[in-house]
Amino acid sequence: MKKIINDPLKFVDETIEGILYAYGERLKSLDGDKRIILKNTSTKENKVGIVTAGGSGHLPVFLGYVGDGMLDGCAVGNVFASPSSSKMASMIQACDHGAGVLCLYGNYGGDNLNFEMAVEEADFNDIKTEQIRVRDDVASSPKESAEKRRGVAGMVYAFKIAGAAADNMMDLKGVKEVTEKALSNIRTMGVALTPCIVPEVGKPTFKIAEDEMEIGMGIHGEPGIEVGKIRTADEIVDTMLDKLLGDIDLTEGDEISVMVNGLGATPLEELLICYRRIHQVLSKQGVSIYMPHVGEFATSMEMSGFSITLFKLDNELKELLRQPGSTPFYTNENK
Amino acid sequence: MEYFQVSDLKGVLSSIKDIMFDKKDYLVELDAQNGDGDLGISMSNGFSKTLEILKDNEEDDLGKFMLLVSKNFNEEAPSTLGTLLSMFFMGMAKELKGKTKANADEFTVAMEKGLNNIMSKGGAEPGEKTIIDSLYPGIEELKKGVKENKPVLELFQSATEKAQEGMLDTKNMKSVHGRAAYYGDKSIGIQDGGATVGMYIFKGITEYINILNE
Repeated sequence: MKKIINDPLKFVDETIEGILYAYGERLKSLDGDKRIILKNTSTKENKVGIVTAGGSGHLPVFLGYVGDGMLDGCAVGNVFASPSSSKMASMIQACDHGAGVLCLYGNYGGDNLNFEMAVEEADFNDIKTEQIRVRDDVASSPKESAEKRRGVAGMVYAFKIAGAAADNMMDLKGVKEVTEKALSNIRTMGVALTPCIVPEVGKPTFKIAEDEMEIGMGIHGEPGIEVGKIRTADEIVDTMLDKLLGDIDLTEGDEISVMVNGLGATPLEELLICYRRIHQVLSKQGVSIYMPHVGEFATSMEMSGFSITLFKLDNELKELLRQPGSTPFYTNENK
Repeated sequence: MEYFQVSDLKGVLSSIKDIMFDKKDYLVELDAQNGDGDLGISMSNGFSKTLEILKDNEEDDLGKFMLLVSKNFNEEAPSTLGTLLSMFFMGMAKELKGKTKANADEFTVAMEKGLNNIMSKGGAEPGEKTIIDSLYPGIEELKKGVKENKPVLELFQSATEKAQEGMLDTKNMKSVHGRAAYYGDKSIGIQDGGATVGMYIFKGITEYINILNE
């Protein structure tokens, strides 16, 4: 293992120490608990709180989206492991500004169970909550069992939409509905070229041969749809778009946002080569692209590879996407 | 005993803890047949550490106390069954909130709310070889006994018997949840560890009431 770390056991805490030193004006921990990160800027009274939680190792997901016009708080777990329900419960309580809290998170076993427990506690304390599980990864389960799909990069768009809706002082029900509408129009698919190493494990959790890639691999190394020989960027993009467009209806005149997301070790140049192809294919179909996001939004340590997210827009979603959103790790101002 | 108060909940927890310690190796053995073998350890740890943290706690609201039990148990028994039991305690907490004492009827309703929580959050039904298979018949028996105005000790004695029958029935069931589900038909013939723990909860309550009555 070759990593720039100190003690593998302190990987997460030292990362968060760095974040709080660098961005302490905009982020804070809850009562000194480094595993609960909250927005440190002013928040309107009676705004719906938007929170998430999940394992570490995916920056900027999850805590990187805590900030203005996005999330109010995030509970942080160990690498690839859910935080405990009691941390989530404390976070929910801290993010209730009087109008309830939307828990918006990826569909993974540990996170699901712990959030279930946490919202029970919130309910005991008379805090209103709603939950949405993000299930955008088309490769993780076929369309017939879409409820089993995992949440990946598409959750970033969901954070943006929910945060903007809450900023517009929509009520909890309204924020939930518009976020669900957004998610029903969001699909993601990824491809991995090399594995990642969890610091505490110290070696790659799976193997991909030098000349191969795995299409559809999850952001923790969950098996994908097929392992194949590495191909050109255009061929890889075409394969991925094929699957994505088979899952979401796009017709001429539609407007979408596209996210090309690097998994951690893929250069921006390569991501742009892929974006180029996506633009060409979609414009040939008469589909126009609004506010493309190209860069690293949801990573998996030093995994190389990328994912494509398609987000079909209507006027309401387009406005919410455009509305200012700014965190130490994300801004839509430059998109 | 007419009412359950927080002191009684502490007594019940202590009694359950004693059983979990006594049966620790047996639970490990049961779980090792189709799980990961940590059941006896997580249960004895969970109950003893939760009790240790809360034994001097001065909260007298039954609901708020059960919330603390739920939270601490979840931290101290990190396993699927630990989380399911935390949900059971949470369901009881919400029902008992605002009460400093609960009669057998109210306590039964609280246990039923706890069971409903496990079923809805865990997504399991009776007959699927889980903790539900002992809790469900036990609670049904409680509901019946409450209607007949049975004395508290008798009430929980008969519920424990039903819970035990339910526990033994799991030998004939096929696992559909958790790691045990991978064993499919091979799980038939093995008694479910979760259902065994559920029976011990009834046994713990009964033993506590029995000691009080002596």
